[in-house]
Amino acid sequence: MSLVSMIGPRPNLLGHDAGTHKRLEVSQPILTDKGLAKIRSVEAALDGAFRTETIDMTWDAETGAEGLEMAIKEMCWAATEAVLADKNILILSDRAQGPDRIPMPALLATAAVHHHLVRQGLRMQTGLVVETGEAREVQHFCALAGYGAEAINPYLAFETIEEMRVRKNFPITAEEAAKNYVYAVGKGIRKVMSKMGISTYQSYCGAQIFDAVGLSSAFVEKYFTGTATTIEGAGLLEIAEETVRRHAAAYGDNPIYASMLDVGGIYGSRVRGEEHAWTSTNIGLLQHAVRGNVPEKYKEFAATINDQSARMLTIRGLMEFVPAAEPIDIGEVEPASEIVKRFATGAMSYGSISWEAHTTLAAAMNSIGGKSNTGEGGEDPIRFTPMPDGRNLRSAIKQVASGRFGVTTEYLVNADDIQIKMAQGAKPGEGGQLPGHKVDKIIGKTRHSTPGVGLISPPPHHDIYSIEDLAQLIHDLKNVNPGSRVSVKLVSEVGVGTVAAGVSKARADHVTISGYEGGTGASPLTSLTHAGSPWEIGLAETQQTLLLNNVRSRICVQADGGLRTGRDVAVAALLGADEFGFATAPLIAAGCIMMRKCHLNTCPVGVATQDPVLRARFTGQPEHVINYFFFVAEELRAIMAELGFRTVSEMVGRVDKLNMKKAISHWKAKGVDLSKILYQAPMGDSPSLNWSGTQDHGLENALDNALIEASAAALEKGAAVRIEKPIINVNRTVGAMLSGEVAKRYGHEGLPDNTIYITLTGVAGQSFGAWLAHGVTLDLTGDANDYVGKGLSGGRVIVRQPGHVNRDPLSNIIVGNTVLYGAISGEAFFNGVGGERFAVRNSGAIAVVEGCGDHGCEYMTGGVVMVLGKTGRNFAAGMSGGVAYVFDEDGQFDKLCNHAMVDLIKVSPEADEEEGAGRPQQRTVSVNDLGMGDMLRHDAERIRVLLERHHLHTGSTRARALLDDWDNTVTKFVKVMPRDYAKALKQMEAERIEAASVAAE
Amino acid sequence: MGKETGFLELDRKDRTYGPIDERLKSYKEFIVPLPAEALKDQASRCMNCGVPHCHTGCPVNNIIPDWNHLVYENDFRNALEVLHSTNNFPEFTGRICPAPCEAACTLNIIDQPVTIKSIECAIVDKGWQEGWITPKIPAKKTGKSVAVVGSGPAGLACAQQLARAGHSVTVFEKNDRVGGLMRYGIPDFKMEKHLINRRAAQMEAEGVVFKTSIEVGVSVSVNSLKENFDAVVFAGGSEDARRLDIPGAELPSVRLAMEFLTQQNKRNAGDDELRAAPRGSLTATGKHVIVIGGGDTGSDCVGTSNRQGAASVTQLEIMPKPPEHENKAMSWPFWPLKLRTSTSHEEGCERDWAVLTRRVVGDNDVQGLECVRVEWKDGKMHEVEGSEFTLQADLILLAMGFVGPRKAGMISQSAVDLDARGNVKADTEQYQTSDERIWACGDMRRGQSLVVWAIREGRQCARAVDLALMGASDLPR
Repeated sequence: MSLVSMIGPRPNLLGHDAGTHKRLEVSQPILTDKGLAKIRSVEAALDGAFRTETIDMTWDAETGAEGLEMAIKEMCWAATEAVLADKNILILSDRAQGPDRIPMPALLATAAVHHHLVRQGLRMQTGLVVETGEAREVQHFCALAGYGAEAINPYLAFETIEEMRVRKNFPITAEEAAKNYVYAVGKGIRKVMSKMGISTYQSYCGAQIFDAVGLSSAFVEKYFTGTATTIEGAGLLEIAEETVRRHAAAYGDNPIYASMLDVGGIYGSRVRGEEHAWTSTNIGLLQHAVRGNVPEKYKEFAATINDQSARMLTIRGLMEFVPAAEPIDIGEVEPASEIVKRFATGAMSYGSISWEAHTTLAAAMNSIGGKSNTGEGGEDPIRFTPMPDGRNLRSAIKQVASGRFGVTTEYLVNADDIQIKMAQGAKPGEGGQLPGHKVDKIIGKTRHSTPGVGLISPPPHHDIYSIEDLAQLIHDLKNVNPGSRVSVKLVSEVGVGTVAAGVSKARADHVTISGYEGGTGASPLTSLTHAGSPWEIGLAETQQTLLLNNVRSRICVQADGGLRTGRDVAVAALLGADEFGFATAPLIAAGCIMMRKCHLNTCPVGVATQDPVLRARFTGQPEHVINYFFFVAEELRAIMAELGFRTVSEMVGRVDKLNMKKAISHWKAKGVDLSKILYQAPMGDSPSLNWSGTQDHGLENALDNALIEASAAALEKGAAVRIEKPIINVNRTVGAMLSGEVAKRYGHEGLPDNTIYITLTGVAGQSFGAWLAHGVTLDLTGDANDYVGKGLSGGRVIVRQPGHVNRDPLSNIIVGNTVLYGAISGEAFFNGVGGERFAVRNSGAIAVVEGCGDHGCEYMTGGVVMVLGKTGRNFAAGMSGGVAYVFDEDGQFDKLCNHAMVDLIKVSPEADEEEGAGRPQQRTVSVNDLGMGDMLRHDAERIRVLLERHHLHTGSTRARALLDDWDNTVTKFVKVMPRDYAKALKQMEAERIEAASVAAE
Repeated sequence: MGKETGFLELDRKDRTYGPIDERLKSYKEFIVPLPAEALKDQASRCMNCGVPHCHTGCPVNNIIPDWNHLVYENDFRNALEVLHSTNNFPEFTGRICPAPCEAACTLNIIDQPVTIKSIECAIVDKGWQEGWITPKIPAKKTGKSVAVVGSGPAGLACAQQLARAGHSVTVFEKNDRVGGLMRYGIPDFKMEKHLINRRAAQMEAEGVVFKTSIEVGVSVSVNSLKENFDAVVFAGGSEDARRLDIPGAELPSVRLAMEFLTQQNKRNAGDDELRAAPRGSLTATGKHVIVIGGGDTGSDCVGTSNRQGAASVTQLEIMPKPPEHENKAMSWPFWPLKLRTSTSHEEGCERDWAVLTRRVVGDNDVQGLECVRVEWKDGKMHEVEGSEFTLQADLILLAMGFVGPRKAGMISQSAVDLDARGNVKADTEQYQTSDERIWACGDMRRGQSLVVWAIREGRQCARAVDLALMGASDLPR
């Protein structure tokens, strides 16, 4: 990624002067005061190549709020004049602010000038720099950049830091303090850019990747041209008024603001600050209600959320129900016990929350017929069967996130729903992160990773780069467990409807529209406040788009993110949700008190911590969660009766039962218009407004049906079977359904090695050998498409060249891209070159390949990869565990490897004397021990074993040749060792020795 | 949050008290402040909760996490600024508030709340000591005038806020010194009265005029206030004490707690006996004292009686003995009902619960008190048959709470509406009474309550008055 920004004009590339002009390059866009001064003086330094003009973005306080519009006009005219006067760097500045001059909101001023110049055709003739006291947080800089700022000088931030540095005696220089700030902001900007899939600041600049929530379209069209705004709202005058009020607070007579302003309360509630839905009072009320099973207290709690006459917090708070002409008796409404089956808890992983909290939610949901969610990070198999005391701790929804941690075949066959997390409402575009100190032994085991090593989920799924890829993943998962629904979790935003329609066409059974309100405990601060949208917007758009495309009835729609009360559920149902997800509220019922310390491992109530001392403080019981959901359902029933609905099904999508509140008197909210959300799309051919059909997954065409039939003896009795078949590329996901059958019967352990041996000839379709279980070997002569061995769970995949062809395996690509993505265990031998992202996020499989494309072993956390030929660039990026051996014949590997997290170690030909945790073995021992021995030692032995295995399975001539020239071979291998992994292994070794000596005493 | 793991490493350690035998010899405060280092440690235990329950638990919404952090950083000056932004008189609350903030503290779930009250007190004491607390004289005067009746915490807070907003404020106090119940109801050993004088001096410098020994409704009429001021605020407290309606209650040594406490406070202030006790001295010296009423005032009577050298002190409460430990699951973060033992109790007294008094025994004066035990079922009280007993008594002090503001005088003269409980009727948004020129706040509006609630009401009422007078207000609610 790059933060390089180019300031100054962009002349016509095709013009006569193309290529002769100068552009000012800064390595990153945050300018210190000194940096900005340099730009101001660059005219003299560079013979007049750059000519700056400072344009004032403050206005006369005397003119008040009404004065802003004219002031913006004048500012824009000044910009035009400057550009016409041949000035080619405009500096918008609010330095002139003071008691008599009000600074315009910097974003408004920047966007106004940017779009004004665009409209006049002058924007490319000048650079735009913003000098503002307003920008201080990452979002501020990103928004300024998004609307055209090529560089930003946040002078007040620097002054504040300097004041703090002096007052608090920070042991650093002023320059260092400023540098640290610039570095942090830069990192934040990169993080935001990465969420949006943009790699360079130059692409981000002016790209306006934002939705507006609560701004009038006339205002947006004028100043933020092209930005989407769904619910209308404030215009220039309201924004001006707010600005005037801020100015008055700063320069008025109010004694409490004489030397400091309020802190704002965005991140933690403060008096005189931002309102938050969860307050001390309603947390207390809810907890007392569920602990004592006191409906009255629940009603008090719900009133604090539902009554938004004083505190306006949500879009649904601005809606009201249209009661039925004749309400029905509540006795006619379906019972709460039916309604709660539509409820699910949110995706919070065991790891982010404690064992106690996670199992409490699961036990509660299982006992009422709802569903709990594993979250990202697998599930301990002990939970797949009921506990001796009868509690069922199995999470019905198994999440498949980009990290694929713990996504084994066994995990998938134990699902009722398999949820593909495309994104998370609370932090869209970001992968989860579990810091190393939260990865204890059990969590490491559940996630099939190394304790103590932090786990980063990559932002994207590496097997999803298009909607077709998503369809493929849905198909893969459906194959592993045909009985489960496959769900896709999306984040609410403008445009999500189109994605949801695609998801439905890609044959997902279920889609989740996740709003931004929810689960913000551990979200990074940049995601907390400005990422994602309310679910009302996304859900309404989803319902409308699905109906317009005739794909509504075949998919179940779930809303989640900040649902708290029965009223919330009612609104979600009327807007089109069949099911409802809750995360924070049930967690609060179980004892969470919204500390927002989830990332620190210091949760004082034992919810979001792995510290045994703190976990002991957890007091939640499944009954608390159950009580909560029944309270919600009962509240919903009363609303249903009032609206005349007997079942939730009847209610889904009935937007005609919702109105915007008539009397909204709040000065900022009164311009809101919900008609786009409350639009009733025509039903078209759709038989219903709700989920009433099924998807056609085409599983009957799978090759696996025949394989399962032929494997009956193995599945039933464990008898060895041999199968031979031709294969062509319409045979996708071969081996997955069969492996699902194995895992259902034999769990993760699977069958003994080679029990089912399938010999195939031809070209395999995508996802060959996906989630292949232990005991199944796929031996393919031919080649295979992308995603070979995805999620490999102990099986063996062999792909070799046909004997009769004369290709050089070292340059012949035999398997496609993204091979072994998320592999857990098993072996893969490829008698040729693999594509890009070979073994990405491998957490335990061993693989030998004769060459690979770019980004090999990216994000790998475990297992062993051996490359016998050339690798591409960026090898081992983000690799935190496992080892790789690369045969570095020409000494080029050092340049191709990404050294950020790994060390390259020469392999010693000498055998290690100490045994350590064991020596490599000729054969795998079990699904949990592939016979690789102590990873800190025995490299030469391990390489030899791998070469021999590779030769055995594929007949590779390369392997033979290397073995034959062993003394030379061994010296040319380079070991790629992640530093954190080595540290964790040494730590474990120390513990092992300690334990042994204790035992000896 | 000075330290992320502070709460895991450090235990709660609060201010200590002087030894009982020493403190019984005087009426001085006996709290030993925490040393600087210990204070910093205690501040570091604050976890800066995402939802700061203390912040809501505190009636004036003290921004506790922020000043805890500043104290951890040794930045007392800014801590004071933040503290004063929500609380006019932290030196009062830092001494006599029962600290609902600490009940709401997350660490109170395990009975280890942050020592919020001690930190608050340390911040403001240091502020005074360093001379940081100076008058905040308004830049501009509004030309509007406000009369505040009553100089208890509500009246003082209201007056200070209004003066700082630029209004000319006159405070009327019927007693000879300002402070209301804080002055004469609360013993010096809990809060020394020079603290009130110091604040009053600050307020005078800010332009507040105090008129003491003037009782509105008696020596000056409500109408004359309405004529001479743009707004009138009633902050006269809830002074109508609940009486004991049993045979013998008319005997001379059955007295109101407030009379007893006031006399001692006046003596401590240096008044001679004639001024301190115009209706005759009332002391516990050498007497068997019975205090009826188990609340804070009762506890103050216990402490004062012991200092005067009572032969014995017994405190009776009609309600059953509350549990020693509350059920946290059903109480936190709210104020729990639990057994509270004050420093005065520790100094020596008998306490008894679920006791109903039947008759004061004695011919010319009190000789004993006849009582009976009661049981409470579903909120109803039943006498326990055969449980009658008689206590020896020379002095009976009545500390059974207050039923509402005194109606005679000011209230009846103003003819403002009262609510069902007999308090002056006004809501907590406008604080305006049925007379649109009169506002009401504090105990006079809400009934007997805490000093901290009075400060809250005074501040909020000031904003409402400012808004009404000016059309807009910068004052915080």
